[in-house]
Amino acid sequence: MSETTFMGVPRDKIPWYPMIDYDKCTLCMECDKFCPHRVFDRREGGRIPVVANPNNCVVFCRACAKACGPDAISFPSKPETIALIKQIREQEALK
Amino acid sequence: MKRAILSCNGLDKPEGSVAREVAIRGADATGSEIICPVLLNRAPARYRKALSESSLLVVDGCSTRCATKLAARLEAKVERKLLVSDAVKASGQALEPTLNLGPNGTALAQSIVDELLRNLNPPPVAEFETPTEYLVVTHDKFEFRIPVVDYVFNENDVWARVLDGVARVGISDYMQQKLTDINYFDAPRIDAAVEQFGELGSLESAKAVFEIISPVGGTVTAVNQAVIDNPGLINEDPYGAGWLVEMKLSTWPQDQELLLDPAAYAETVKRKAAEE
Repeated sequence: MSETTFMGVPRDKIPWYPMIDYDKCTLCMECDKFCPHRVFDRREGGRIPVVANPNNCVVFCRACAKACGPDAISFPSKPETIALIKQIREQEALK
Repeated sequence: MKRAILSCNGLDKPEGSVAREVAIRGADATGSEIICPVLLNRAPARYRKALSESSLLVVDGCSTRCATKLAARLEAKVERKLLVSDAVKASGQALEPTLNLGPNGTALAQSIVDELLRNLNPPPVAEFETPTEYLVVTHDKFEFRIPVVDYVFNENDVWARVLDGVARVGISDYMQQKLTDINYFDAPRIDAAVEQFGELGSLESAKAVFEIISPVGGTVTAVNQAVIDNPGLINEDPYGAGWLVEMKLSTWPQDQELLLDPAAYAETVKRKAAEE
């Protein structure tokens, strides 16, 4: 399920995954029901959603945030992530 | 085909008041019938004729998307979905925190309707030829086609074909097969400025919602109305009649740095298929 690289960069070097604001989260589990990549899982007897598999998240996809009614999910900045990917690719090219 | 508007009633939120206003103004501007979501939910037979003869313009106030879910449950034909909370964010202007519409809410409702009218009457599209030669990646019983020339791809399985400063954009054969039968294209608005790797709307199938990640930066100049009317075209012909949008390019050729040519994308598809 998890892709090993993205644009030639090891997936685990790209910090792109959802973050849950538990002050806003209503524990509706819509995120877990919505994401087909099993990024989310449930803890504490299935009561609390958590980001269990961050590297399963499709880089640049933010669809789960839109499915979240209380707007409790956020993602990193796309421009910063693109800059990081370019930087790592340049470093790899110099090796 | 006739149109009808299904809007959230939204009596408890400012976004709902805007949704209601959008429905009223939109119905007036497009000659559409308004469908009451409460009555539709309670007695769907009341609207059976309207639903069979019309395509729906669905207006939701917030991300809970009650109207969209109601339309999906009744398997109604949806032409456009409008989400007020997204429009609020895009406008950068907060709504008045009251249930009565204030000046901001009224202005937003009118701008949503104006944009809807622009999108329902899109400008003519550019001429692109359908590809004839393909690379074929085989995995188990599946075959994934990739045009040999003229197409570039991002690693999010979205292609672009560039001609005279305009890009036509769609999804790859691999992704359409992965999604299976696509039943809805939530198109971006005409004139939207989208950066490379920005969002170009989404596709919905029985299996998943797929966010369309733009391979290029630019301004949306056209959306494929044929695909909005019949999303199955994407499954039938993902590189030809199933194209999604056209964009006037703004960051080309720099965008190419993070794009794949057909041969490199074929290797990516091989890897992805093996990792599934």
